Amino acid sequence: MTDSQQEHGRRKPIGGELIIPAVAVVFSIYYLWTIVDVPFTAQASALFVGTILIFLCLALFVRTALALRRGEVSLGIGGLIEPTSFVPRRLVLLGLTVAYIFVVPWLGFTLTTFLFLALAMAVLNGGRSKGFIAALSAVLAIGGWLLFVVAFETRFPAGPFEMLMQRMF
Amino acid sequence: MEFSIEIFAEQFARTFSYWWVILPSILLGLIVGAIPGFSAANTIIILLPLTLAMDPETGLVFMVALYASSRLGAGIPAILVNIPGTAGAAATPLDGYPMTQQGRGQQALTISFTSSVLGGLLTTIIALLAMPWLSQVAYYLHSVEMIVIMIFGISLIASIAARDTLKGLIAGFLGLMIGYIGADVIYETPRGTMGFLELYDGVPLIPALVGLFAISEAFSVIEGDSILTKLGREAMQTGGWGATIEGLRETLSRWWHVVWTAMIGLVIGVVPGAGAAIAAFVAYQQSRAFSKTPEKYGTGHIEGLIAPESANNGVTSGTLIPLLVIGVPGGATAAIMAVVLQYHGVTVGPELFATRPELGYGPFTTMAVTYILMIFTILPLARYMSRVTVVRTVFMAPIIISFTLVGAFVPREYVFDMYLALVFGVIGYVARKTGYHVAAILIGVILGPLLEQYFLRAMRISQGDVLVVFSSTIGNILWVALVVSLCVPAFTAWRRRAAQERTPAAQ
Repeated sequence: MTDSQQEHGRRKPIGGELIIPAVAVVFSIYYLWTIVDVPFTAQASALFVGTILIFLCLALFVRTALALRRGEVSLGIGGLIEPTSFVPRRLVLLGLTVAYIFVVPWLGFTLTTFLFLALAMAVLNGGRSKGFIAALSAVLAIGGWLLFVVAFETRFPAGPFEMLMQRMF
Repeated sequence: MEFSIEIFAEQFARTFSYWWVILPSILLGLIVGAIPGFSAANTIIILLPLTLAMDPETGLVFMVALYASSRLGAGIPAILVNIPGTAGAAATPLDGYPMTQQGRGQQALTISFTSSVLGGLLTTIIALLAMPWLSQVAYYLHSVEMIVIMIFGISLIASIAARDTLKGLIAGFLGLMIGYIGADVIYETPRGTMGFLELYDGVPLIPALVGLFAISEAFSVIEGDSILTKLGREAMQTGGWGATIEGLRETLSRWWHVVWTAMIGLVIGVVPGAGAAIAAFVAYQQSRAFSKTPEKYGTGHIEGLIAPESANNGVTSGTLIPLLVIGVPGGATAAIMAVVLQYHGVTVGPELFATRPELGYGPFTTMAVTYILMIFTILPLARYMSRVTVVRTVFMAPIIISFTLVGAFVPREYVFDMYLALVFGVIGYVARKTGYHVAAILIGVILGPLLEQYFLRAMRISQGDVLVVFSSTIGNILWVALVVSLCVPAFTAWRRRAAQERTPAAQ
């Protein structure tokens, strides 16, 4: 490892800390663009808050630039993704969550919840205790259906299971 | 509005006879309060056919008991898994969750229950006695004063995220901008909606709450096998009734802290629209500002848990005062109560206390009785509830995601809201990992629409003069209070640093 690499490794990675302010600046500019044509009285509040937000973000960018110049920090995103060994699991969980939302209007709450819980727990647990996970997922999904749909009469997305139960009882 | 001991005693005895309504309502309230997306307001709406079928007094007892117990229930997941059941409990995890991680979950729950019950009970009695005067508070607060109160709320974020004030402010103001999304109330121009029709009514609060707290937390907790620290796991091995007794003792020894933070909740609750979230954060910030050990806040400090819990229960009785005395509901649940009373032909206002005291005083005595019954029913459960923290995160994370995502679906029944919760989850995850406070973003989302509404009103009254925000005496006093409130922690920290520097020099 070269001296410059060792030097880089000692610096605190703060690139991830710039994501929120960057999003804030882009969103504020977009928001202010959408109110260009409305009367001033309707603009004033957003102008006030949006301007302060952009100013605060610029202050953070300047502070970061000064720290970079002094060699105290780096623009790495280690702070955001560490510990890196969990990144694959986290991405799988994110993918399963998107799939859950996508499927729930068709399969309904109970079946989708069962599948999501079983798959997510199996992946996170490294494929161990499959029988226990299947039983736990079934109990939780049916318990949720009994509590929310039957007891509270909440209108959760209905699928084959909910329709079958409705016809039976 | 004459008040006498006879009326009070008679009303109390009458309310106790409704124990068969109050006890099931407590149980239901604790459950719905603990589940994000199932607030007391939602539940009362879902059960409206049942409520309307009851006579007005029974209906009112049911609604008030449900309301008070759901407020307490919202603190349970906030303490145990860092997910507030409602926005009113958003300040509870600041010190409640670190206590849980240290294996003091049972003690934290006991402190939360005791301070909630004491704060709620005390403010209910004070509300009953001081109703004629407290109801006048709402008359003095107009749009200008409300703007200052809202900015006061946001400024607290800087204090709460004390490790980096700049990041705290960015998070809060980003939340405000997100809260501004939607069609404006006067000209109906869509703003910042990115073309989504589902955002024309603004950003719904429950998906924001679910995403920022629950989803982001689920993605964070999988990094460890348990949410408990090593010491926390050891502490949980030796669990018994001792932690409950210790929590009770710790709260009672800080009775004065419970009293004054609950009073903050009561006064803020009287202000229509301010709500439990602001009250909890104001109480937390004030508690830290006047503490001798402010550096302990955020690390599992008992006073940091007492303050938001007693304040958000103080709000509960406060929101009923403007409803019953001047007919202006102080919050969503109070507004639904007004609808139910109107359905039964009951007109709220000062004459209600003379013509139908059981309806005028009834909500307050019901609240008092609910709190008394609640302490005996819930306190023994703290020991068993705290066991949830030993569940492995590989099981806990998927459960949190699936059950809170459907909670985001419940209020509007849009699948879009579940995607929105996921987007907030990603924002929350990035915020947590990079030192931005998720509670600050949430408070901004809550206050954004309110701030804009008052800003618009003030601008229209002043015909576009922005200096209107400095036109009111009360408003100007509040501006000064805001500056003082921001300066006190900085001044205290400076004095402490100076003292520390002097100490080694003297040695």
